[in-house]
Amino acid sequence: MNERSFNAGQRFLLAAKQYWTTKMYTQLRREYEDKCKQLGVEPKTVSEVAEITENLTLYHFFAWFERHLQIGKYAGRYGLVPYYAERRQEVLKEIDTVPEGDPILELNPDMKMPLYYEATDIHQHPGGVWSDDTAGLVYQHGARTTTPLLGAAHEDLHYRFAEEIAAGGTPTAVLDMACGFGKTTLPLAIRFPEAQVVGVDLAAPCLRVAAHNARAKGLKNVRFKQADAIETGLESGSVDLVTSSMFLHEVPPRYIEKVLDEAARVLKPGGRMVHLDFYYFPDAFARFLHYGHGRRNNEPYMQPLAELDLPEMMRERGFTDIEIRPFKESPDADSKTAWRFPWTYISARKAA
Amino acid sequence: MKSPRDYVIENNEPATMRSEQIFFDDPAVDRVMGVLFSLAQEHYVLHDRVRALEELLVEKGVVSAEALNAPPRDEAAAHRDAAEFAEALLRPILGVQTAKGLTGRFSLARGKAQ
Repeated sequence: MNERSFNAGQRFLLAAKQYWTTKMYTQLRREYEDKCKQLGVEPKTVSEVAEITENLTLYHFFAWFERHLQIGKYAGRYGLVPYYAERRQEVLKEIDTVPEGDPILELNPDMKMPLYYEATDIHQHPGGVWSDDTAGLVYQHGARTTTPLLGAAHEDLHYRFAEEIAAGGTPTAVLDMACGFGKTTLPLAIRFPEAQVVGVDLAAPCLRVAAHNARAKGLKNVRFKQADAIETGLESGSVDLVTSSMFLHEVPPRYIEKVLDEAARVLKPGGRMVHLDFYYFPDAFARFLHYGHGRRNNEPYMQPLAELDLPEMMRERGFTDIEIRPFKESPDADSKTAWRFPWTYISARKAA
Repeated sequence: MKSPRDYVIENNEPATMRSEQIFFDDPAVDRVMGVLFSLAQEHYVLHDRVRALEELLVEKGVVSAEALNAPPRDEAAAHRDAAEFAEALLRPILGVQTAKGLTGRFSLARGKAQ
């Protein structure tokens, strides 16, 4: 496919997604609220919301579009996967900038992927973010439109996340768990130039992109390592900040327990752990759409995460100063006019 | 009530062995929507390419923007063309045959053994 047609095809999908995010969502919400008023009910649970919403014709379309716009984005005729596959050699050459043996990138060719990771093609990305050499580029490209209303500002939220972390102190050693292509790792390395930052991830194709991006930005204080977040191989008590972004909702609850264990292990006493993730909507209708999204977009651990008692799990591991609060993905984000994820800033401190 | 984890899949069955999710009362609608939406995207891509061609033609002075946007030379022929297009698009909704044959829905499930 040629460049212009690919861009036009993706532009069409993005425009449709923006329409879905705003007009289709607000109309669905209005119809749901009208129906509740008509029936004289105030649903409090997801099941009660489902009883009403799943009978609305518009909901069938809303759900269909959520799943199929993503199928088009990744796997359609003008999808990211075929686009990068056709250009495999040239695009891989472009990111092949890390010299052999450079400590910025430490891969483990014997890495065994966990079953949960292989069982679901996350985000409906065929083959997931790990099984094809171009998967890191596909994922990086796809992330531009995860929050379709942000447009070119999609990267800003990671810098704002780093800024919020900075408000709580300046770290000297950072572990960024499940760092992917470095969308948060790089902003952390830039925000904390005196700190040594390590990003770990299971997916070699993403780590290659991350290391390339770091070199392109001239960053000297960051490195990437292929490792599971539950077994990073870092020394105990070696970092004073552990982070992750959009990670916890992608792993089963039994893994989250191990993630917290690993964070507690690698942190120095008094060190901080901060996760940016999609957690819990108090509003039942928003929760209904969120849990549905998890199923529709191949993110099956969204609902299990939202139903976990994270504060209790953190307390059990000796974390203190636990703070869980909404995070605005953009300064003007507004749930009344557009569908939004339950962006949440989750922070705690290892006891001193 | 089902556990929230019932929908979690933890085996490595390939995608082609898993049936696609269904959102409409009749799964046929899900599939037709897929066909229609692919066509809509293709339509947009072609629209974009025609626009690129037009812009280039005007820029190179092959045609003028006024000539490109002028009304059809034969208004009646344009209407006939639009009517043919509309009929081809909408005729299936009438639900009638184009060549004489059996009518309605049939099933081979019932009756004597075949």
